[in-house]
Amino acid sequence: MNAIAFLLGLLVLSYLGSILVGGRTIRGFGLASGAEYLVLGFVLGPQVLSVVGHTLVEAFQPVVLVGVSWLGLVLGVSYLRVGERRVPLPHIALSITLSALVSACVSVTVFFGATYFSPLPRIEVIAFAATAGIICSETTRHSVRWIVERYAAKGPLADLAADTARASALFPALALAVVCAWLPGAALPAFSVLERVGVSLGLGTVLGGTAALLLGREFRRDESWGILLGTSLLGTGAATRLNLSPISTTFAMGLTLALVSRHSVDIKAMVTPTEKPVLLPVLLLAGAYVNVKLPMPLLVLVATAIVAKILARVFCGALLSITTRSVRGVGLEFGGSMLSCGALGLAIALSFAIRHPGVVADTVLLVASVGVLLGEWLGPGSLRRALARAGEIKPEVPGPQPTLPSEA
Amino acid sequence: MSGHGGSKKTTGTRAIQAAALLVTFGVLYGVTRVTPELETHLGTVTAIGFLLLAGTLMSELLETIGLPHLSGYLLAGIIGGPHILHLVDHHTVTELSPVNTLALSLIALAGGAELRLDTLRSVARGLAWATLIQSTFVLVCVASVFLAIASFIPFTQGMNLKALIGVALLWGVLAVSRSPSACMGILSQTRAKGPVATFSLAFIMLSDVVVVILLATMLMLARPLVTGSGGISLEDFTVLGHELLGSIAVGVTLGLGLSIYLRLVGHQLLLVLLAIGFGLSDTFAYIHVDSLLAFLAAGFVVTNLSDQGPKLLHSIEQTGSVVFVVFFATAGAHLDIPLLRKLWPIAVALCASRALFTVIAGRISSRLAEDPPILRRWGWSSLVSQAGLALGLSVVIAKAFPAFGEGFRSLAIAAVALNEMVGPILFKFALDRAGETDHEPEVRPSLPPAAATK
Repeated sequence: MNAIAFLLGLLVLSYLGSILVGGRTIRGFGLASGAEYLVLGFVLGPQVLSVVGHTLVEAFQPVVLVGVSWLGLVLGVSYLRVGERRVPLPHIALSITLSALVSACVSVTVFFGATYFSPLPRIEVIAFAATAGIICSETTRHSVRWIVERYAAKGPLADLAADTARASALFPALALAVVCAWLPGAALPAFSVLERVGVSLGLGTVLGGTAALLLGREFRRDESWGILLGTSLLGTGAATRLNLSPISTTFAMGLTLALVSRHSVDIKAMVTPTEKPVLLPVLLLAGAYVNVKLPMPLLVLVATAIVAKILARVFCGALLSITTRSVRGVGLEFGGSMLSCGALGLAIALSFAIRHPGVVADTVLLVASVGVLLGEWLGPGSLRRALARAGEIKPEVPGPQPTLPSEA
Repeated sequence: MSGHGGSKKTTGTRAIQAAALLVTFGVLYGVTRVTPELETHLGTVTAIGFLLLAGTLMSELLETIGLPHLSGYLLAGIIGGPHILHLVDHHTVTELSPVNTLALSLIALAGGAELRLDTLRSVARGLAWATLIQSTFVLVCVASVFLAIASFIPFTQGMNLKALIGVALLWGVLAVSRSPSACMGILSQTRAKGPVATFSLAFIMLSDVVVVILLATMLMLARPLVTGSGGISLEDFTVLGHELLGSIAVGVTLGLGLSIYLRLVGHQLLLVLLAIGFGLSDTFAYIHVDSLLAFLAAGFVVTNLSDQGPKLLHSIEQTGSVVFVVFFATAGAHLDIPLLRKLWPIAVALCASRALFTVIAGRISSRLAEDPPILRRWGWSSLVSQAGLALGLSVVIAKAFPAFGEGFRSLAIAAVALNEMVGPILFKFALDRAGETDHEPEVRPSLPPAAATK
C-alpha cells in the first residue's frame, strides 16, 4: 500500500474516532477500548494480509510516537479530574498503590518465569519483566466511563472506579521513564539512571510550565493549540532523541499544566476530544506491529503475565473489599473490572518497541494486545455486575444509550 | 499566528514570551549538542515543534517593534536553521515538504474563498490595468536592468547579446511573480479591511494565473534566443491550455463537492482539510493538474456558488494557525544565507530595481484606472514579497536551460530571500498607514493566520 493512501486511511479512522467522541451518530457502537481497531490493524498488517507491509509500518513510526506522546499529554492534562469533579487525593494514592502492587506481582512472576524458562539474557529478562508489569498496571478509564454512562450508575463505587481508573495512569507513565533511562543506549552516558529520569520528567515539567505561562491570563483557543502542539512535539522529539521516554515527558507536561495553569479545565476540555481521533489510528498501527510468531517459551511468558495480572487484580479486589467500604461484598467483581486496559498500555508497549526493538519488544506488545482483548471481554461485565450488586444501577433496565460525550 | 485585536500585551507578558523563547532554543540546543550524532527521522517531529513554538514567540516579540508576524516566523527559521544555530538541519527542512504542500493548498483554498464576485467587480477596472501594466512594464524594465548589469553576473559571462536578452526575459518573468502566502499571512494577522487589502488579495491571486501563462510565453521566446537554434513552438501553449482548463475543471468539481459536504455534514473539517491537502495535492501532481489553480477555483466556487464560504474560511483559519507558522518558519530555515552573502550586491540591485518599477507601474495603472487615492499611494505595497512561486519558476527555468540553470536559480534564491524578508514588512507598513488594520477580529474573521513560501 502506498504511504499517502495509508495516511488517508488513518485520517478516515481519525474521522471515525471524532464521530465516536461526538457521539451524535453512533450510539453504543464499538468497544470501549477500541480493541476492534487493534484487531483490524493486526489483520491488515504484515502477519496476516500484509496490506500494510513492514516498510510502511516502519515509515509511520514517527506518527506512532507523536500519537502515543499526545495520548500521554491528554492523560496528564486530565489526570486530576473526572468530568467536573476533582479526583480526591486518597483515591489517587489508592490507585497508585494498586498499580504498583499489580505491577510488582506481574514483574516478579514474569521475571522468575523468564529466568527459568526462556533463553533470554538477564538484561532482556529484566526489561521484559519490568515493562510487562508496567503495562498490566493500567486500567482504562474508557471502559469505566462506558459502563457508568451506559447504565447511569451513580454512587461511591462508581466514583471509586472512575477515580482509580483515571489515577492509574501516573504509575506506568513514571515507571516507563525509569525503564527507558535504564535500558542500554540512553543518551547522557555520564548521568545516572535517576538523573536521566529527572531529565525525562524535568523536560516535561519545564515545557509544561512554559506552556502554562504562555497561555497566560486570557485563554485563547486558537493560540493555545499552537503552544500545546509546539511544546508537546518539542518534548516528544527531544525525549526520543535522548532515548528517553516521550510518553513520560508529555505526561509530566500535561500534569504540570493541570497543576499550575489557571486554564487547566479549558485545556482539558480542548484536548480531551482529540483522544479518540488520535487513539484509533494508533491502535491500528499497534495492531500492525503485533508479531505472534514468537518462540514458544515467550508465548508461555505472555500467558504467564496475563494470568499473573488476573490474579493480582482479583487479589487487589479482595483486599479492597476488606479495606474499603464501597467495595465491600463486590471485591472480586471490582477486581475483575480493573482488568480493562487500553490506550496507555498499548502506548507504552509501542514506545518500548520503538525504543528497544527486538523479540522482547514483540513479546511486550503481545502482552499489551492480549491484555486489551482480555480486559475488553472481562472488565466491563465485571464492573456492571459490581455496580448492580452495590445497588448503584438497576441490573435489568439499561439506561439511555451512551452518547460518549466528550468528557471535558 | 493569530490575528491581533486581542488585549494589549503587558511588559510582563513580553518578558515571559522572551524567556519561553530562550527555553525553546535552549532545550533544542542542549539536546542537539548532547546527541549530535543521533540524526533520526524523529528530527522532523522535533523541528515542527521547535519551529511552531519559536516562530509563534518570535512573531509576538517582533510585534512590539511593528514587524509582521510573518517576519518573526522567518527569523525563527533563519536562526534555528542549518546556517546559523543548526538546530534544524538541511535534511529535516527537506523532510518538512509535506507541511509546505498542506499549507499551499490551504492558502490557495482560502485565497479562492476570499474572492467574492461582487468584490472582484468593484475592483475589476483597477485589476485589469494593474495586471496589464505590472506584467509588461515591470517585466521589460527589470529585464533591461538585468541586461545592463549582466557583465557582473557570473553565469552570463561569455553569452552573446541574443542569449542575454533571452535570459533577461526569463528573469523578467520571475520579477512579476508575487507571493500569495505572504499576502494572506499579513492580511490574516492584521485583519485588514479596505481597498488596499481587497485589491492586493485579488491582484495577487489573479497574477498567479498570469505568471504561469507568461512563463510559458517567455520560455517559448527565450529558447531560440538562448540556444540559437530552432524556431518558436506553440506546443508549450497546448500543454498549458490543457493544464489550465483541467485545473479549473477539477477545482470546480472539488468546490462543489466541498460545498455539499459543508452543507450536509459540516463537521470534522480539520480532518477533511488535512485529507484534501495531503491526498489531493499528490493526486493533482500525478494527473498534471496545477494544484494551486485547482484549489483556488475550489475556494472560489464554495464562496460564490454556495453560502458555505465563511464556514470553510473559519476552518482554514483554525487549521492554518498551526500549519502556516511551520510553513513560514521552514521557509526561513530554507533561506540560503551563505549564497545570499555571496550574491548580495547583484541581488540587491535586481531587487531594488524590481521594487522601484513595481511602484512606478502601480502609480501608472492606478492613474489609468482612476483608483481612489489610497490605492494609488499604497496599491503596490503587497507586490514586493516573493517566495515559493518565484522559486518554483526558477526551478522550471533551470530545468529548461541546464547550461545556465544552476546559476540562474542561485541568483533567484538570493533575490527571493531579500524580497521574502522585506516584502511583508512593507505591506504591513502600508496597511497600517492606509488605516486598514484598525479592525477587531470579528470584522474580518475569515483569513487564515500568518505564514510561507508561495
